[in-house]
Amino acid sequence: MAFAGGMIRRLTNRLGGVFVLALLGSAAVFFAMRMGAGDPAIAALGDFATPEAIAVFRTKWGLDQAVILQYWKWLLNALQGDFGASMTVAANVPIAKLIASRLPNTMFIGLYALTIAVLISLSAGTLSVLRHGKFADTVATSFAVLGISMPDFWLSYVLIYIFALGLGIFPSYGFVTPAESFSAALYSGLLPALAVAAPMAAAFTRILRTALLETLHREHVRVARSFGFREAFIFIHYVMRNALIPYVTVVGLQIRYILGGTVVVERIFGVPGIGALMVDAAFARDYPVVQACALTFPIGVLSVNFIVDLICAALNPRETT
Amino acid sequence: MADTKGINRRQTLKLGAGALGLGTIGAPYWQGTAQAQAPTLRAAITGFNVINTLDPAKASLIPEFYIIYGVFNSLLKFNAKMEIAPDLAESFSIVDPKTLEFKLRKGVKFQDGSDFSADDVKFSIERVLDEKTASPNRGKLQSITNITIVGSDTIRLETKAPFAPLLNYMTNTRTATQIVSRNALKTMGDEAFGKNPVGTGRYRIKDWKSGEMIELTGFAGAFEGAPKIMNVRCPMIAEESSGMTAILGNQVDLTSTAPFADIPTLEQKQDIRVIKQAGLNTRYIALNNKKAPFDDVHFRRAVSMAFDRNVLVKAVIFGEGIATPGILPPSMWPDNKPAVSDWVQFNPERSRAEFAKSKYKPGQEGTILIWGSNWWRRIGEIFVGQVNQVLGTKLSVQASDFNAGYARAKAGDYDAMVMGWLGFVDPDEFMGEMVGSKGFRNIHSYASEKMDALLEKGRMELDPMKRKLVYREAELLMLDDMPLLPCFTSNVHNLMRSNASGFTQLPYSNFADQFGTVQIG
Repeated sequence: MAFAGGMIRRLTNRLGGVFVLALLGSAAVFFAMRMGAGDPAIAALGDFATPEAIAVFRTKWGLDQAVILQYWKWLLNALQGDFGASMTVAANVPIAKLIASRLPNTMFIGLYALTIAVLISLSAGTLSVLRHGKFADTVATSFAVLGISMPDFWLSYVLIYIFALGLGIFPSYGFVTPAESFSAALYSGLLPALAVAAPMAAAFTRILRTALLETLHREHVRVARSFGFREAFIFIHYVMRNALIPYVTVVGLQIRYILGGTVVVERIFGVPGIGALMVDAAFARDYPVVQACALTFPIGVLSVNFIVDLICAALNPRETT
Repeated sequence: MADTKGINRRQTLKLGAGALGLGTIGAPYWQGTAQAQAPTLRAAITGFNVINTLDPAKASLIPEFYIIYGVFNSLLKFNAKMEIAPDLAESFSIVDPKTLEFKLRKGVKFQDGSDFSADDVKFSIERVLDEKTASPNRGKLQSITNITIVGSDTIRLETKAPFAPLLNYMTNTRTATQIVSRNALKTMGDEAFGKNPVGTGRYRIKDWKSGEMIELTGFAGAFEGAPKIMNVRCPMIAEESSGMTAILGNQVDLTSTAPFADIPTLEQKQDIRVIKQAGLNTRYIALNNKKAPFDDVHFRRAVSMAFDRNVLVKAVIFGEGIATPGILPPSMWPDNKPAVSDWVQFNPERSRAEFAKSKYKPGQEGTILIWGSNWWRRIGEIFVGQVNQVLGTKLSVQASDFNAGYARAKAGDYDAMVMGWLGFVDPDEFMGEMVGSKGFRNIHSYASEKMDALLEKGRMELDPMKRKLVYREAELLMLDDMPLLPCFTSNVHNLMRSNASGFTQLPYSNFADQFGTVQIG
């Protein structure tokens, strides 16, 4: 009960935090976009737009009104769940529809990458500890350094050249969305997911290796050994479980980068995700789309943080009792 | 310890096998889908991923026109030799210098099954001219004073003065004069029509996912004949390099562009064909003639002679173009010969002598706005390096994106900016709009009565050869005044899988107008 009550309190606090942060963030993004140079009319109508056409465009989108008034109207609509329509990247398409079609793809690639990263890091981290100081450890540690050092765009092209253009076993471009076919999404999304997963897997492996090594030499492990438990049992129940707390925290911290960090990979592989949408919108001065995306990101990140908190609390016996 | 090791080794192997399984499970579906949809032409729009509307009157972006070219026809079009040819008009005549008459084709159907008529032509042109439509191309047609239907299949366009560009503007190019179905537009309304347009072209829109893909389906009743391939998928690939990997990996059959740097490698590939020719485009450095340091004609001329345009062609676009002494591309030059002017010849000595006549001294600062992909940026970087070396100036580059840079330039808040335009078919689009005192693209604050008079003469001259000579005179005057620094014209490229054929490339960057004749295998 105490655990559930604590969680509800945390959830309430978090929701309040999300609201305040979203409000401040939206205002910051709104005014920063308006202060920057650029004109949505140029993006939408092209350079040869007549002054009359530009005037019609500005009136249609309310750009001729005072900036503070524009923000107020946007805020009132946003509070009612109406984010308006795209101005310049997908003229007149409701933004909610755009995000609803794009966000699942980014989340799919992100979660796919996360799964790969967790699987690799659990295997590599465990192996490097079990073979501490031996060849397998050196390989796993080198892999970690390599994974962190490789820029995602470079790795993307390397993967394309090896697996798509060289071996011909994966598509070099294009993504089938999970809504169309889940298995085809797994297939076409593997290379982009690997490109996103590599630096995460490397970071996770390092933290797991360090945490496992540290835990392995703690008092309670020695005590467990003195009881005569099998090594496998000790490792899973006393070493791994303790090491997982910092590991899950780092995993949670990395997830926040998935939303924005897949932009380049989305572009290279043609994954229609929210990261690419936000970048396109920023370049085309599609203010309402940028606004809506800017709201989606903190909500996503804070939701993930909350889930991570829940997992950490579940792993930590002191919080579950 | 021994037990634990054994468990983990097995686990590791299982995990590895599982991951591989995940990756390969979708392969049969993917390949099966591609085969099930055959025959499908996969024509990628590369370098762009924004299409806002497919209503010709409202479109402005080149990728919008890529598709519009295939959905609609205009009264006229360009053939493979870039000669004006009949399209919806089976013939045309110049009744007098101010009147053009078009005899329309009979029996033409729109994609919704309705009949094409002179009413649709009148409606389409009047709609572009109507201020309420807010067409970005309205300015091109403003000289039209009367549109008269003569009989059932003839239409006359009258202008207030002879207007030579009008024939070019009536072609199926980036001009908004594509003929729309009046009934469909009235029934659907502007916005719905922009998403699902109805024209007479060989294709109509089947599906459209914003920023991702447009799917076309063939129109069997098209007057040009049913397309050879009825299904076309046009993925929008923002990165040109990704477009290249897509065609190399056989994910697409055709691309709308190709990265300059990769052309030499691509030309060696057996399974890819690089289609290229000199484009109707211009790349230059816009100068703010009202602001230091480019407010001084001697300084502008000195700078023009301080950089080698051939170096730009080699280093920026890897030889995929030609250095131009003016802003008109070679096909618009009289007798295909370039303008001759010392002001655009790389000559460090003369450059320094001219610099000495200016009010500026070595060490002079100035900022060149650069933007876009690598090659656009390199224009500014190499230019600044060369000029500073020759003149001892301290010009620098400032990176931005096009929208921000162009908005600043329009507001007069800049020194210089790397610029370029493509897809123009008439010299007036280049010269009139860039250096005419009222031109849309005149961001230089350049105004010359002599230039305006020459441009007006060019608009009124109906003899093509004489017209070219007028623009030559205007270009020489421009080079004397040097309101901008012409650099080069680049080639246009399409990449096509070698098992595909039937695509005729035109220098104004055409695309969907050719899909109907493409064959695969």
